[in-house]
Amino acid sequence: MFSSEIRDLLALSARPDIISFAGGLPEVRAQNFQKLEKYVKRTLKSDGDINIQYGCSDGYYPFKTKLIDVMRLEGIETVEEDIITTTGGQQALDLLAKIFINPGDTVITESPAYTGALNSFKSYEAKIIDIPVDENGIDISILEKKLKELEKKKIQIKFIYLVPNFSNPSGVTLSFDRRKKVLELAKKHRIIILEDNPYGMLRYEGKPIPTIKELDIRGDNLNVIYLSTLSKLLAPGFRIGWIVAPHPILEKISLGVQSTILCVSTFTQRIAYEYFSDPSWVDNIKRFKGIYSKRRDIMLKTLKGNLSSIASWSKPKGGFFIWLRFPDYLSTKDILADAVRNKVAYVPGSGFYPDEKGLNEARLAFCTENTERIEKGIKILSKIVKEKIKLYKSFK
Amino acid sequence: MKKNIAVLMGGRSLEREISIKSGQRVSNALRKLGHNVIKLDIDESIVDNLNTEKIDLAYIALHGKDGEDGTIQEILEVLNIPYTGPGVYPNVLSFDKIISKEIFTSHNIPTPPFYFLNTSSFRELGASKILPYIVKKIGMPLVVKPSAQGSALGIKLVDKENDLPHSIIFALGYSKKVILEKYINGIELAVSIIGKKKPRTLPVVEIAPKNKFFDFESRSKTGEVDYFVPARISSSADKKVKEVALAVHNSLKCTKLSRVDIILDKKEEVPYVLELNTSPGMTDTSLLPMAAEEAGMSFEDLVKEIINMSLSD
Repeated sequence: MFSSEIRDLLALSARPDIISFAGGLPEVRAQNFQKLEKYVKRTLKSDGDINIQYGCSDGYYPFKTKLIDVMRLEGIETVEEDIITTTGGQQALDLLAKIFINPGDTVITESPAYTGALNSFKSYEAKIIDIPVDENGIDISILEKKLKELEKKKIQIKFIYLVPNFSNPSGVTLSFDRRKKVLELAKKHRIIILEDNPYGMLRYEGKPIPTIKELDIRGDNLNVIYLSTLSKLLAPGFRIGWIVAPHPILEKISLGVQSTILCVSTFTQRIAYEYFSDPSWVDNIKRFKGIYSKRRDIMLKTLKGNLSSIASWSKPKGGFFIWLRFPDYLSTKDILADAVRNKVAYVPGSGFYPDEKGLNEARLAFCTENTERIEKGIKILSKIVKEKIKLYKSFK
Repeated sequence: MKKNIAVLMGGRSLEREISIKSGQRVSNALRKLGHNVIKLDIDESIVDNLNTEKIDLAYIALHGKDGEDGTIQEILEVLNIPYTGPGVYPNVLSFDKIISKEIFTSHNIPTPPFYFLNTSSFRELGASKILPYIVKKIGMPLVVKPSAQGSALGIKLVDKENDLPHSIIFALGYSKKVILEKYINGIELAVSIIGKKKPRTLPVVEIAPKNKFFDFESRSKTGEVDYFVPARISSSADKKVKEVALAVHNSLKCTKLSRVDIILDKKEEVPYVLELNTSPGMTDTSLLPMAAEEAGMSFEDLVKEIINMSLSD
């Protein structure tokens, strides 16, 4: 959680004059709006009354058939009955946290980890143990050691939360070997893995790596709960996410949906059904990938040209984010106000840790701004950082 | 009579969010008072927007840069649009805490001892070496704050000399100059002043933060601070504090409205003036509306008085 001061500064990043590397906003302007209009019209025309009625708590069945097609492209073979739709990926996380976590329970996350997940777990009073990531994802040897230690203490872990593909915020991808090892450890210690995969289809280079869910399906299919979202594949405004889980867990999730929202909007699910019924959605993904990869490349290039001697950063093969690390003495919270005054925003790293680590780190989203603004913004940021470093050095 | 009132809010300042809260609350009150409200966010089209609409009065609900540094007031003067709050000159003077503190001193108004340094003095003149001397002269703890910023943004209370560099760099993110001010362990008070020809003080608000320090975090959140109106101080101290607040208001040539922030030492002898605000917050947790309520004025009454004073300009 950030302080009000940081939250207010980040709120300014919504202004058009601010070059924002803060929020990971998908480039929805690249959607084909004429086609979207057609899908909406079709939704209203065919069974319009049903499509604006309450729906099933488990999700709109025809749409789930399309989700199966989507997941198949990522190597996951599943059936409609194993899926439940949610209002965005965030609700999926909240429902899972609600089901699994009692106050004081322990969960494991990557370090750094997605703020939305950390906040959700904290809101149910979980004790969060964060395991560092390197360029190949979560550090398996530390995880293994920690699991042994916790088992000795008879502390039951409720789940391990992972974003294996182009993680938010680190941008790193969990290697195939580590995916196998994590699954092996989860089985051994009887721990559920929550595999969150919002960015899996947004790979800009290299070959796709099987999801942990796919590896689990090859075995007993009891160890992984898979969740994802349409926010990056279609648009966040649809607020559609989904969970694939074993049946006893799905029943509880379904009750959770009923008690909170009754059902996910049938209307948006039906439009999404139309969207994924049109084979052109795959071309849209290709178009998105083209846009994002160019933005990533220009951000990496500008970082290299301006901050090489000062900072290090992740080199994501997909997704939305680059993780930036400055020398230990440079606090990214301390320079945010200066950055915002100079019309650039980013997210300070400490918000991605349960215990305010990462003071010298920051998350940069490359998905939101166009290439010219990315180049300009990184140059401004670099100038501020260099000035701050001079200032820090003046105190030595 | 129904007026067209432009509520200027938001803007480019780092206090944008608070300004929006103030502006929205003021807009609701103006509507209840029967006026036509035009909400205007301040950006590059502000002059066009002010010229397009037929505006009888501009209500300045801006905080910080542009709203409290004389910028918007000067624009409104040129466009001949009456506006709420003090004029250009007091805004320019009060926005720079170094200038305003110097003015207080020249008027024999007590203000905590301080030194200021700017960014280039650290980078180019090795000013960090002067810090031990400042500590020796003023003593610890110190309050480190930007010279031109409101709402306690960028302010830190520093107990240890080793923490000074980080706090100074943090403050310099908000302003080019940083003030190192003696921390006065006392009672935090806010005195609101209202009135054009005969400015009067409203009941004094006492701010008792649950943490040691009234920072941005506690200012912006409900429940982080206990407020006492009137302040729990002796009647003689209350009188003294109000006199000093009026002296501050006059020293900066303020008119119509201001809020003076003061720390009264524990012995209730010296009211140390920290700063004067020309556009006090108008949110649910703001101090001016709190003081007005104690004086028997509803929020609408307060807004009504503020606009009536300015409509007769």
